[in-house]
Amino acid sequence: MADPAVMAGGFSAIVGRSGCGKATSSPAENYQLARRRTLQVVVSSLLTECGFESAEKATVESLTEMIQSCFNVDTLPGYAKRSQRMVITAPPVTNAPVIPKALIAGQKRTHPSHIPSHFPEFPDPHTYIKTPTFREPVSDYQVVREKAASQRRDVERALTRFMAKTGETQSLFKDDVTAFPLIAERPSSIPYLSALLPSELELQTLEETDSSEQDDQTDSENTPVNNLNDDPGADKENSVLLAGSVVPLVKVSEESMIDNPYLRPVKKPKVRRKK
Amino acid sequence: WDLLGLEIDMNRKKDKGFETPLFLNVLTCYVMFIPHTTHQVVCINNINFQRKSVIGFVELTIFPTVVNLNRIKLNSKQCRIYRVRVNDLEAPFIYNDPTLEVCHHESKQRNLNYFSSAYTAAVSAVDPDAGHGELVIKVPSELWKQGDEMNVLKVYIEFSLDQPKGGLHFVVPDVEGSMAERGAHVFSFGYQNSTRFWFPCVDSYSELCTWKLEFTVDASMVAVSCGDLVETVYTHDMRKKTFHYVLPIPTAASNISLSVGPFEILVEPYMHEVTHFCLPQLLPLLKHSMSYLHEIFEFYEEILTCRYPYSCFKTVFVDEAYVQVSSYASMSIFSTNLLHSAMIIDQTPLTRQCLAQALAQQFFGCFISRMSWADEWVLKGISGYIYGLYLKKTFGVNQYRHWIKEELDKMVEYELKMGGVLLHPTFGGGKDKDNPTPHLHFSIKHPHTLSWKYYKMFQCKAHLVMRLIENRISMEFMLQVFNKLLSLASTASSQKYQSHMWSQMLVSTHSFLKSISNVSGKDIGPLIKQWVDQSAVVKFFGSFAFNRKRNVLELEIRQDYTSSGTQKYVGPIKVTVQELDGSFNHTLQIEENSLKHDIPCHSKSRRNKKKKIPLMNGEEVDMDLSAMDADSPLLWIRIDPDMSILRKVEFEQADFMWQYQLRYERDVVAQEESILALEKFPTPASRLALTDILEQDQCFYKVRQGACFCLAKIANSMMSTWTGPPAMKSLFTRMFCCKSCPNIVKTNTFISFQSYFLQKTMPVAMAQLRDIQNLCPKDVLNFILDLIKYNDNRKNKFSDNYYRAELIDALTNSLTPAISISNEVRTVDNLNGDVRLILEEITRSLNMEKLLPSYRNTITVSCLRAIRMLQKNGHIPSDPSLFKSYAEYGHFVDVRVAALEAVVDYTRGMHRTSPSEVSRTHPIPYVVHKILSMLGKNPPFTKAAESPLCNEALVDQLWKLMNSGTSHDWRLRCDAVNLYYTLFGLTRPSCLPLPELGLVLNLKEKKAVLNPTIKPEQGPDTTEMTVSSVSMSSGVAPPPQGLKRKLDSVVGPLGSSSPEPGQVLQEEDTSKKFKIRVRISSEDEIDMESPHDSQAFIHHHLNILERPSTPGQHPVKHPALIILLSDNLEPPAVDQAVLSLPVTPLPSSFGKESTSSSKHSGDHHHHHHHHEHKKKKKKKHKHKHKHKHESKDKERDSHAFSNSPASGRSARSPSMSD
Repeated sequence: MADPAVMAGGFSAIVGRSGCGKATSSPAENYQLARRRTLQVVVSSLLTECGFESAEKATVESLTEMIQSCFNVDTLPGYAKRSQRMVITAPPVTNAPVIPKALIAGQKRTHPSHIPSHFPEFPDPHTYIKTPTFREPVSDYQVVREKAASQRRDVERALTRFMAKTGETQSLFKDDVTAFPLIAERPSSIPYLSALLPSELELQTLEETDSSEQDDQTDSENTPVNNLNDDPGADKENSVLLAGSVVPLVKVSEESMIDNPYLRPVKKPKVRRKK
Repeated sequence: WDLLGLEIDMNRKKDKGFETPLFLNVLTCYVMFIPHTTHQVVCINNINFQRKSVIGFVELTIFPTVVNLNRIKLNSKQCRIYRVRVNDLEAPFIYNDPTLEVCHHESKQRNLNYFSSAYTAAVSAVDPDAGHGELVIKVPSELWKQGDEMNVLKVYIEFSLDQPKGGLHFVVPDVEGSMAERGAHVFSFGYQNSTRFWFPCVDSYSELCTWKLEFTVDASMVAVSCGDLVETVYTHDMRKKTFHYVLPIPTAASNISLSVGPFEILVEPYMHEVTHFCLPQLLPLLKHSMSYLHEIFEFYEEILTCRYPYSCFKTVFVDEAYVQVSSYASMSIFSTNLLHSAMIIDQTPLTRQCLAQALAQQFFGCFISRMSWADEWVLKGISGYIYGLYLKKTFGVNQYRHWIKEELDKMVEYELKMGGVLLHPTFGGGKDKDNPTPHLHFSIKHPHTLSWKYYKMFQCKAHLVMRLIENRISMEFMLQVFNKLLSLASTASSQKYQSHMWSQMLVSTHSFLKSISNVSGKDIGPLIKQWVDQSAVVKFFGSFAFNRKRNVLELEIRQDYTSSGTQKYVGPIKVTVQELDGSFNHTLQIEENSLKHDIPCHSKSRRNKKKKIPLMNGEEVDMDLSAMDADSPLLWIRIDPDMSILRKVEFEQADFMWQYQLRYERDVVAQEESILALEKFPTPASRLALTDILEQDQCFYKVRQGACFCLAKIANSMMSTWTGPPAMKSLFTRMFCCKSCPNIVKTNTFISFQSYFLQKTMPVAMAQLRDIQNLCPKDVLNFILDLIKYNDNRKNKFSDNYYRAELIDALTNSLTPAISISNEVRTVDNLNGDVRLILEEITRSLNMEKLLPSYRNTITVSCLRAIRMLQKNGHIPSDPSLFKSYAEYGHFVDVRVAALEAVVDYTRGMHRTSPSEVSRTHPIPYVVHKILSMLGKNPPFTKAAESPLCNEALVDQLWKLMNSGTSHDWRLRCDAVNLYYTLFGLTRPSCLPLPELGLVLNLKEKKAVLNPTIKPEQGPDTTEMTVSSVSMSSGVAPPPQGLKRKLDSVVGPLGSSSPEPGQVLQEEDTSKKFKIRVRISSEDEIDMESPHDSQAFIHHHLNILERPSTPGQHPVKHPALIILLSDNLEPPAVDQAVLSLPVTPLPSSFGKESTSSSKHSGDHHHHHHHHEHKKKKKKKHKHKHKHKHESKDKERDSHAFSNSPASGRSARSPSMSD
């Protein structure tokens, strides 16, 4: 008996599935399908009652078709109450497979106001919260120094190689000009500037190590910059006027105390002088 | 006198105006007519940076001291003079400068003796101190009568300068923008009295007058000059402004200077009358560098008890400076490279020292001037001496004594090598025959004929002698004397002109000595006689024996007074003996014939009880006496410990005595002497003594630095017995490495400067260590590489550029010659592993420098040296092209000099060098001076040795250079003379054909008659050259004789197997010779085939100097071509040259240039003075131009000046004959 039951179960499962599949189409169709499915179950059970062990699908289909076409509803109650009727047991209640409940760790974040509520919820906090892991920090002085040194060396090497590859080079060897490439020297028109002025990097270091001197330096740096920037932009005529105004600028702050001939304003020519 | 006469005679001949009477006048003028200039106006109303030209006028107020003053002589060089007016009357003038070309055209003498005397005569002929000058102005006859009334004459001269090569230096960077934005500037420069190069004046230090100076410059520029800036006024178009200076203190023209540029201005915060000027963007550096100037002022004013004499002081920092420091009345011009930021350690003391020198010279040199050249030593001596006092106060006694010893050693070394330096030359009646310094190859009669090195040693000796005087009369008296000189001068300076009052501002040897005797009451005559009136130094040899019986120290002091540069010393000498019981001074008398001196000892020999030993300074110390001789109580002996004699002492004492002296004598000089002596005693005890000194913090850092190098030398001598790690390694580790990881150096802090200097030096010294294979030990190399690797400056407020540079130097020191087989080409593949590591560091450092340049590019400088050393030792191919590119204009000057040094060194190796274009377009006087002096120091060959480089073309080049090519710069001319002397000696260069053998080059007809005795040698030589030019395809030009002889001597042994060496053998051996030659070249770095290329290098440099600095007009000249075109002597050789020429690419325009520079044709289109002299030679030609120089210039530049009113007037200027 187990077999038909399985079969029946199997049918229902198939039908159910297909029904489900079309359930969305229309209620009428649904009804038709449900009816047909019921009929199929009936045919199957009748066949079982009659002692068939199995039936071809086409046969079941034909019988179902026949019942459907010449089926009298009025006779049904009588038939239902016939003596040797077979009671179809309800399919055994198999517990729906338990979907394991997701582990919830912590409170889920609620949607912020700009996210409509229909959007899926945030995942558990642990899925997006970073959980930093620490390797034991290298506290060994030697290793730190070693690393710093090799890092610096690598950076320098990479940088100089890059510069050498992308620019002109000079070589010490004739057979292999790529070995030990030297970045080609470039004459500068004012070579003393780069040779005397501290590089920005050095200035930074100085800033870090000594902030008290810093104020002094920016102070003094601003004045020349002004001086320089004023002149280039202006053409000859303007520069004359500007130069005139620059000198007073420098001294404004100190004028009261310092009397130095180089800070005094330039005099206008006297008309008499000409003749 | 003959020469002088000749000189004037020639002028007379070519100028009708000067007939015989003048000739007499000129001579009498010398004696009688010395008019006084009382006031001078200099007005420069246009400075054109584009054209590098200057236009202006001067007006001299002259007070005639004689009646009928009819001729006035002034100094002027380079200036083009448009008109001269005397009291508003046009005055005729002639301009003749005999120093333009010293020996007249085509003198065949070519010997230095001849040149020197001619040069001295030429300088004498225009010597302002003798009343001479290049410019002779005839006072219009209308004014002659006025002479009776002794009215002042006003001489007004309009002049211009076009592209001056001397006197004024224009720096015009080649960038976009206006001149001010480009940082263009101009400044005056020169060695000794050189003001005549930029305006007409009486260019003498003894001719004082008051000044009014006016400079009209672009409105964006500042003109800094001597005296007080009275006002600055705009011109009418407002584009320019005029700076008006007044200098009321009588000042010599030679002390007048000018600098114009877009300077940034800094007023000294402590003294508002002091103003500093620097080039744009450098103001922060200026602020820092000048921050201690006021302390120097205070120091000098305090010791001299005298206020700074001028009412203001200006410092100007310029690029391409001639010297680091030059002082003028109330201003000093410095090299901009002295400026530094607060991060720089090493430059700081150097800059301070330069400032202190400049300021000392303000008092003595500018304010107080000299009476004559012979009195120069007083000024140099006093300024150097008070500078020394500043050193003592600021940097400490140790530094001071170290400096004195250094100066003394330097000077003694020079005098012993070159002969004496004479401080106060006296010339008997001006006769050249009484040359007080016959040992020198130049005359010391004039500052302008001196070699630069001699002048430096002269200054050195002057201040050392001042110190000797101080020793004799005490410092107090010394300062009183200075104060007296200054107060006399300042009283005089405030007076109106009176003929003799102002002379108080001039110091003479006589007046100085008189002051000394007045103030101190002491007679320093013998001292002066010994060191001032006489040249040379004393050379002592000392040794001793201890006489146990008498308990007497028998000291023997011998002298060498026969070799050059030495003199005999008679007088007292101090000897200090350190005994067990203390230190005792003894004064011995060095007398004529006494060599031995008995000095009684105070202590008995070794006692058993331990007792502290008292030192000279009163300190008592425990000593381990086990090393000393048990029989003697002597610990150490010092001869003349206070350096109160200008001497060299070679003293012999036992090694343990030197060791005691090093450990326990507190005087740094004694310590340094013992370090030097210990080099000869490589024993464990010496090692220990040196190591102890290294570890001692209290010890002066320079002594410790010296100990490092000595220890390295000792370690090398003790190589086989040395135990433990390499010298200094563990010491360095203990001092400078981390406690936890001894292989890693601490991060830099440089808080203690003493340790900083030691940390810098130790690796450099360690790298000198060698193992048994004579290689630098692997340990040491790795150690240095680790220092470089782990160097960490991130937390340091000081820059580590000098430290890193010295680490590169250490790598350089570790290099040893490559082991390689014969003439193998150096390739990357056969690079030794260690060298590969070194090279990697060097390339990385050099490349990083491009991205993050270090202060003064110290690292680049070290890298260049390292690369040259790699080449020299045969690790990498020897090739000067890298250095040549770094030597180009546009690199920092230190880099250029380092690169040039490498090129010069390369030339010495006689390698092939193609013509370099170094400094061709922008000759910077300093760089050219450096080239010549480096060539002199490291000459490609010397007079003693034969060299293929030594040939006629080179002689001609160099001769031309000193004869006429350097007339614009005294220093340069003397450098050229020096080089000529180093290369060829005093006599006619041996490579020149002997005149009496009759190789006559008839230059006019371009015909050469070859001496038949020379001809046969040409055959084989030419064959050899063929071989070599084929083999290296670079040999050109006929071989000089030197080469031939050298080869013959090499061939000799081979040929000796044959019974009859002769022509046949030589031919057979041609191929063998070639092989031999290869071997030589691999061993001695002599490439026989290429001498002419390195010659080209020299030639080229010489050429550079001769030409005007117009860029882009100098075709490169190939020496081979010079020979080809000029000497049609040896047809076969010429063929060879022609054949091999195409190998090196040559500029297409060489032909014309070579011809012009060849001696046949005289380069008239470059040098008008040649032209002039040529004309002189052809006496029959009548020349209508009165002013040769000027008319020549007019021809050349007529288009430029034709519309100038000045030119018109000049042409109309009255004839001299009227």
